[in-house]
Amino acid sequence: MKTLADFRAGDTFELTREADRYLPIYYAAVSGDFNPIHIDREVGRAAGFPDAILQGMCTMAWLADACTAYLGDPARVKRLRVRFSRPVVVGDVVTFRGRCVAVDGPVVRLEVEARNQRGEEVLKGASAEGWLEEG
Amino acid sequence: MAIDIRHVGRRYGPFQSTVCADQIEAFALVVAGGVPGYFGSAQGEPRPFSTLAAPLTFGVTFAMRPFALACTDPELGLDLLRLLHAEQEFEHGAPVRPGDVLTTVGEIVDVRSRGLLDFLTVRTETVNQVGERVLVARWTAVIRG
Repeated sequence: MKTLADFRAGDTFELTREADRYLPIYYAAVSGDFNPIHIDREVGRAAGFPDAILQGMCTMAWLADACTAYLGDPARVKRLRVRFSRPVVVGDVVTFRGRCVAVDGPVVRLEVEARNQRGEEVLKGASAEGWLEEG
Repeated sequence: MAIDIRHVGRRYGPFQSTVCADQIEAFALVVAGGVPGYFGSAQGEPRPFSTLAAPLTFGVTFAMRPFALACTDPELGLDLLRLLHAEQEFEHGAPVRPGDVLTTVGEIVDVRSRGLLDFLTVRTETVNQVGERVLVARWTAVIRG
């Protein structure tokens, strides 16, 4: 596994995930978030979207995976922060592009951009902090 | 319609939740598509991550309840068709492991308006059975005017 010395400002990482038709339903089952806007197309439309929308927490879980893959261990991720700027609609493909912006002592600071297949931002100001042991 | 500022300080919980290994695996399978690390192999090989712990956003299963209750609280009377999850912050403490007994409390810490948008923020804090803090989270909803 990578050690603190292996992380440098300017490093980049990427992850792509797809919100297939069944994902919001599976996610509802494992998270407990059964808000009908996520599992019923008609409710999604009534709320002004083309279809059901994915739970924001699932998008955040993908962000966490992207950061974990870069940092090497989920135990290193101490802080995650996101603004859901645009819903992820069923059928969307989301690409996360992350960057290490600073290494301050044991803290590795990450910023991540997330866009759908049309290039629209689905997250704004997404950031994470990794805390590593020295050495 | 702006949310009444008198609701700041409104509390929900405590709620108790017992973490189950199967629940962690099911969650990881859905959100991570089977990312290696959360699963024991058929051969009993060790997991690659140093800490067998719940995925980072597993907190949704035990810490979202105060937020969900605030969003559906008749006293607040929010329109759920206009409500979206707007912002989220997780600060992780001790890892969450199978068998943990977690206690979560939540409180409305902020209500504000910006143009036609109303925002509601609930802060939750979760501790485990030995009193270690495992998660502090801030959950913000936006209600579109």
